[in-house]
Amino acid sequence: MKSNRLSVAFRYIAVAILLIGIVTWAAAGARIGWTQTSVATMQRDEITGIEFPVRRSAFVPGIEIPVLATIVAGALAGLSWATARRKATAKV
Amino acid sequence: MRSSLNNSLRLIAGLALAALAAQAAPQTFDFNDPKGVNNVQFKLDGPLESITGTATGISGSIVFDVVRPGAASGRIVLSAASLTVGNPKMGEHLHGIQWLDVAKYPEIVFEASELQNVRTEGTQTKAEVRGTLTIKGVTKSVTAPVSFTYLANKLGARLNDPKVNGDLLVVRTTLQVNRSDFNIMAGEMMDKVGESIQLSLSIAGSSPCA
Repeated sequence: MKSNRLSVAFRYIAVAILLIGIVTWAAAGARIGWTQTSVATMQRDEITGIEFPVRRSAFVPGIEIPVLATIVAGALAGLSWATARRKATAKV
Repeated sequence: MRSSLNNSLRLIAGLALAALAAQAAPQTFDFNDPKGVNNVQFKLDGPLESITGTATGISGSIVFDVVRPGAASGRIVLSAASLTVGNPKMGEHLHGIQWLDVAKYPEIVFEASELQNVRTEGTQTKAEVRGTLTIKGVTKSVTAPVSFTYLANKLGARLNDPKVNGDLLVVRTTLQVNRSDFNIMAGEMMDKVGESIQLSLSIAGSSPCA
């Protein structure tokens, strides 16, 4: 019984992590690039006409977020399967 | 009558030459910029996206004569530690021993030696600048297109202080270098980081009037 509940819990957590990872990445623009912790916006100096970067802190999730979420979800799904299988073996 | 007219013309020509001679003195423009407007942008190819970054730690000086712009010369220094990218891990690698090794080689230096193919139109001068570029302790000759824009009496406006008198010189150039030429992970990680680095420099120097 305990194993069955554990197996189900792993499954739910796996789905949750996968969804959080994908939604976080997609909501921020589904960026095909690495995560950034700062972004530069260009401004123009009126006197010289020079375009210059102004860098500010920002979290922009990159492709590694859904990839990591998938890996972790996969590991938890594997654990879920392993615990369910252990229960089935124990029954026999 | 004719002799009086000739004398007047000679006087005007003489005054014009004197005015020109007074302006002909070369000026030294200082490119230290506490406002952080002076910047270099760089770009390399990468597998997921282009690797782009900025740097604002610029200093140095250029001697420029608005009457003889072809005689310009100077030295621009970029603090290697000021190169910044959006990903912090990538930034660590960029500054690290294998890449720019900023602890050992804190400066990237461009020294201009001569200008060629100089064309001036109004306040803007375009040319090809020849000089040397030093990155990570390696010095190479480079040639790049450059434009100089001379802004007379604009220093006070830039500093937001009308009491300050002086001129500005805006310099823009772009050049392409290969990282292998400067021993930056030469021949390595060619599938992950592009060989060619595009550099764009936009800087303004100031020359206060005495």
